Amino acid sequence: MSPARSAEPAQHGLGTPPGVPEPRPTPPAPAPSPAVYTAGLSKHFGSTVALRSLSITVERGEVFGFLGPNGAGKTTAVKVLLGLVRPTGGEGLVLGAPLGDRLARRRIGYLPELFRFQGLLSAAEVVRLHSKLLGLPKASWPAESSRVLRTVGLDRRADDRVATFSKGMQQRLGIAVALLGDPLLVVLDEPTSALDPVGRRDVREIIRALRAGGTTVFLNTHLLDEAEHICDRVAVIDRGSTVATGTLPELLGHHWSVRLKVTGLPDRWWAGADLPGSWSREEDWVRVRAIDPTLVPDVVARLVGRGGRVEAVVPENESLEARFLELLEGR
Amino acid sequence: MSPVLTIAGVTIREAVRRKLLLAFLAVTAAMVALSAWGFDRLARTRSITGDEVHLALPQSFILFMFMFSFVLALSASTIGSPAVSWEIESGVLLTLVTRPVRRAQILLGKWLGLAVLLALYDAAVCALEVAVVKAVSGFLPPDPLLVAVYLFAEGCLLLTVALLLSTRMSVIAAGVVAVALFGASWLAGVVGALGQSFNIGALRAVGQVGRYVLPSDGLWHGAIYYLEPQTFIGQHFLEVHAGDPFFAQSAPSWAYLVWVGIWFLAVLGAGVASFERREL
Repeated sequence: MSPARSAEPAQHGLGTPPGVPEPRPTPPAPAPSPAVYTAGLSKHFGSTVALRSLSITVERGEVFGFLGPNGAGKTTAVKVLLGLVRPTGGEGLVLGAPLGDRLARRRIGYLPELFRFQGLLSAAEVVRLHSKLLGLPKASWPAESSRVLRTVGLDRRADDRVATFSKGMQQRLGIAVALLGDPLLVVLDEPTSALDPVGRRDVREIIRALRAGGTTVFLNTHLLDEAEHICDRVAVIDRGSTVATGTLPELLGHHWSVRLKVTGLPDRWWAGADLPGSWSREEDWVRVRAIDPTLVPDVVARLVGRGGRVEAVVPENESLEARFLELLEGR
Repeated sequence: MSPVLTIAGVTIREAVRRKLLLAFLAVTAAMVALSAWGFDRLARTRSITGDEVHLALPQSFILFMFMFSFVLALSASTIGSPAVSWEIESGVLLTLVTRPVRRAQILLGKWLGLAVLLALYDAAVCALEVAVVKAVSGFLPPDPLLVAVYLFAEGCLLLTVALLLSTRMSVIAAGVVAVALFGASWLAGVVGALGQSFNIGALRAVGQVGRYVLPSDGLWHGAIYYLEPQTFIGQHFLEVHAGDPFFAQSAPSWAYLVWVGIWFLAVLGAGVASFERREL
């Protein structure tokens, strides 16, 4: 991963001219503030509690998955972070600025969950409008427009009116607009909800490219496989409060499962086998449950060391879903 | 370019592509053509005397312009009421307000774009109508430019009210309330005229208060004044038409115009404040 970009100016080492005393070493630049920081953030709509107490920290440069069932408060949380609604309590910072700060919005790209662009404008005109509102230099508009439209595969439809676009194409255009102006933080609210499998794959690639460029991505989704594929860390939210936060291995803890196809070991060896977690065997397949994922290579090494042939190692795909349901049902 | 001008430009471009200007022009052409025919018939009629024709022409012109002022006010309400509410409902605004611009700039940009459209419509109708009536009947109002300015001010006032309502109400509710307020203001003016005619203080007060609460009728009477030839302003005419809602005895005072300016700024400011505080 590339180092996270900072809003602070870079320090350039130009050297010291002869005869000039050596300056004192420059203290290291302070670490940039987290991309997103909230403490006890809450939002009530009358008697309805949409957000109870949200406390999360999203570091710069990471892809952060914000997971939860429908109605958990994910979109409300995003709207509070972006200043679209005012919090009832708690505090928060986005890119080191107060929630909703106008200047900080210059470096934030946002794809809303439910949105529409002006249908009578072309895709290129929509991008130009947002380039103007972002305050990008006029000279950069054509190149910037081409770049973001090409990224989402709409460069050939740039001059077509948005009203002629399918829902998926409008979603792509929304992502293109969110990528304008080299944002430090991109907030994507259910970005793949209207996309076909090709579109979903493309979005995953875009998010990976953003991470490679040091951009922080806040991914709001209820699609667990999406989070599992691309997120560095996730938070699970339900009924307005955080249920769990961490990296996927931390979150899954002992809930990872793995299936291995092993041949070449006699039954008597299996009778006394000592493998981590709980395991079961069915013909050539062994399922190891509740295993720390970092121990999987050790298991493979042990089996091979005893003369076994490990022909396949298959992580259980439903493990995050199982853990997710367990977290929600356990409340 | 300032965000206000950017939003105004998009608003005008969208309106043009929605064929709003085309619709305005089509309605204008129909109205002007019909009125040309009507004024031509009136000017050539032999069933009344020449003096009566000279009296009927300005009165007919005032009635025609009243119809136009109603259409202009209705148009202002119709284009103003969805400007914010529809964009909130559809999600268009979510993509705009998260940009580094103030919500006030977005609202003022929308207001400016719609006001430019109203100004074009108003200027086109007034210019065409005055030219056509002059050509077919020879009648020319004393100050057509001020007539157009007062009608535009009336339309802008309704546009501003509709925008304010649009920041809090649905499209239909904002439109209906704005039109109802316009109607109530006109009705208050009629009640005031009746009070004047029958010398009933309470009814006269309704008219006076109404012109301050929503000045659209006061501005319309400003337009009437500049449509009336000098012969209308004499004492005899004043006695005959004291209770006529289509008669203005005098031009609006400067004090009243200052009040209209304050009123206008207050409503626009309330719209901005309401939009700034609106949770999306």
